[in-house]
Amino acid sequence: MPNNYEELSQSIISGQLDRVKSLTQQAIGAGDNPVDIINQGLIPGMSVVGARFKSGQMYVPEVLMSARAMDAGMQLVKPLILSEDIPSAGKVVIGTVKGDLHDIGKNLVSMMLESAGYTVINVGVDAGPEKFLHAVKEHQPGVIGMSALLTTTMLAMKDTIELLKEEGLRDRVKVIIGGAPISQDFADEIGADGFAPDAGSAADLCKKLLA
Amino acid sequence: MTLSKSQYVRANYQVNATPQLKMLSDDQCENILNGALEVLERTGAEIHSEEALEIFKKGGCWVDGNIVRFPSHLIEWAIRSAPSRIVISNQKGERTLFLEGQNVYYGPGPTNTYTIDPFTGERRRPRKSDTVRAAKVIDALPNISYAMDCGTVMDVTPTLSDVHAFQAMLENTNKPIIHWGFGIDQYQDIIDMAAVVAGGLEALQKNPFILLYSESSPPLRHSAEAIDKAIFAAKNNIPIVYTPCTFAGGVAPATMAATLVIAVADSLVGLVAGQLVRKGSGFVMGGLISTMDMSSTILSYGAAELSLLSAGLTAVARYMKIPMFSTGGCTDSKVIDTQMGLEAAFSILVAGLSGANLIHDCSYMEYGATSSLELMTMDDEIIGMVKRILEGVKVDDEHLALDVINKVGPGGHYLAEDHTMAHFREFWSSSLINRLRYDGWKAEGSKTMGQRVKEKTQDIINNHKPEPKPDHVLREIQAIVDRAEAREANKQ
Repeated sequence: MPNNYEELSQSIISGQLDRVKSLTQQAIGAGDNPVDIINQGLIPGMSVVGARFKSGQMYVPEVLMSARAMDAGMQLVKPLILSEDIPSAGKVVIGTVKGDLHDIGKNLVSMMLESAGYTVINVGVDAGPEKFLHAVKEHQPGVIGMSALLTTTMLAMKDTIELLKEEGLRDRVKVIIGGAPISQDFADEIGADGFAPDAGSAADLCKKLLA
Repeated sequence: MTLSKSQYVRANYQVNATPQLKMLSDDQCENILNGALEVLERTGAEIHSEEALEIFKKGGCWVDGNIVRFPSHLIEWAIRSAPSRIVISNQKGERTLFLEGQNVYYGPGPTNTYTIDPFTGERRRPRKSDTVRAAKVIDALPNISYAMDCGTVMDVTPTLSDVHAFQAMLENTNKPIIHWGFGIDQYQDIIDMAAVVAGGLEALQKNPFILLYSESSPPLRHSAEAIDKAIFAAKNNIPIVYTPCTFAGGVAPATMAATLVIAVADSLVGLVAGQLVRKGSGFVMGGLISTMDMSSTILSYGAAELSLLSAGLTAVARYMKIPMFSTGGCTDSKVIDTQMGLEAAFSILVAGLSGANLIHDCSYMEYGATSSLELMTMDDEIIGMVKRILEGVKVDDEHLALDVINKVGPGGHYLAEDHTMAHFREFWSSSLINRLRYDGWKAEGSKTMGQRVKEKTQDIINNHKPEPKPDHVLREIQAIVDRAEAREANKQ
């Protein structure tokens, strides 16, 4: 049976969760290499989605439907692969900083990163410096991402960076920040490695920093 | 010349004294309100404040961890218990803003993270001196009825940005002020400063010139900061604007009706908290309601839906007889340009027609990220035009002028008539809109609207002298700022 990766990619692009599941299942049943299913079926579809979103041909809800479909496919394939063989672009710890409960933007970034192939550890909202530190120690990510919506809470981002320095971990992880009041200037001011103005560019930023 | 009597012998004569825009019928409003009551009774709201949870529990809500479910009768009681009218004075104690019925008052907006310098054109972080400038411009513009800070001041102790901005406004305008605070400590500072100006806390409560301002985080989530401020305001008997920022497709479903349901439900949470603390405490419902742009994910300040939804929310507020805080005069544009002008004009007109009592953000550019005093100056002009439209067409014997028409007769002109003299000043005349003939416009330097707006803004900042407050008042205000600085220094 010829592989149906082209159709799988198309189903990711059109966000058809059930179709992605059944095509992935078929491929598994046909004895396809699970890593091939990911690299030749799921990821190419999501790459098209990313490019179309960037050029304004797709909207956020459509991207999220595609991401959801992609995730459903991944969940089927993942148990068949040794965890070290699962293709991952890198690990990112992400959270909304202390005192801030706003997490829609942060969750959007998580989904965008996941669909770009990153493994995301989401530490939730109201996350103090210790929580980020703990996650860095436990998961050893390449990047940590902090989000804030409020001009007061954004100041807490610096506390996390300071704590990482005190613990001697600052050099081992890239720090990126985002949120409505955040700017490149602010990122420079507090010594972050990068700033992304929107969810779409966060994945590009990680790619650049981890290159 | 005597006017003849009316030709009509009238019965059941109806008048549109102003143009009419009612986005939703009473039945639709009832439908939206019932939807919000159902959401609060069934789904409930997440409350992140121990004090608020205690108040809701004692008030008869079902509290399950952080989730509070509200019995409809309690909300209906709170709606009836809140005043349908709140009168706000200026800082001299003169009653100026009558938040009742469909009276409309326009003003700027708060807490932008950037401001556009009206002299250099630079987009940069706001400083305390920018709020000083803003207050002067607010004080000078006749159609701007109250002050807000026009940007979070960032060259002071970060946790006292609110207190410093309030001081800057008190020192540079006598108009009423709507102001936010980071937390309860700062709210206390602000009330203390306001009490100095009003001549004591009781005088301030009797005749408030401030409204406190709090934003919750939809959908159905209220941080301690947000809900505690509503409680604090009620305890201190100072009216509050409680304003969720609800955007369709993001924190609410993508449909307009459901977005209204979420906005109403989140406002009602703040209302119930305040009324349980003090029956009859002043409450103004908000607020900011629009769509999320599905490409850029911004909360759009220029969307047609901002006007549509704001007018819808205003209709529901009016149905509940709760004063309304709405939005207009704002834009997603980054610069002083045509997009800015058209988005600001549309939203000012629709908000005015909707009859929202307080219409804010007449200074918001770049989807709220940046404030612009030039936009506020231009909005002042637009508001002037809109207010003229809101005056409507008077239809009576004097205004029908049938005798004058008969006297002048076919082919004549009206330029030299007493009737014209008596009424032509009712035409709206502008200071910024240019209606010169071409040569006249050229002789004055061929200036664009943007240039005229900039010049007027700069002129106000350079030359307007707000009525100063007595020295002892200014000293007492400074003492409260110093006290706040000492407190924050101790927290470090």
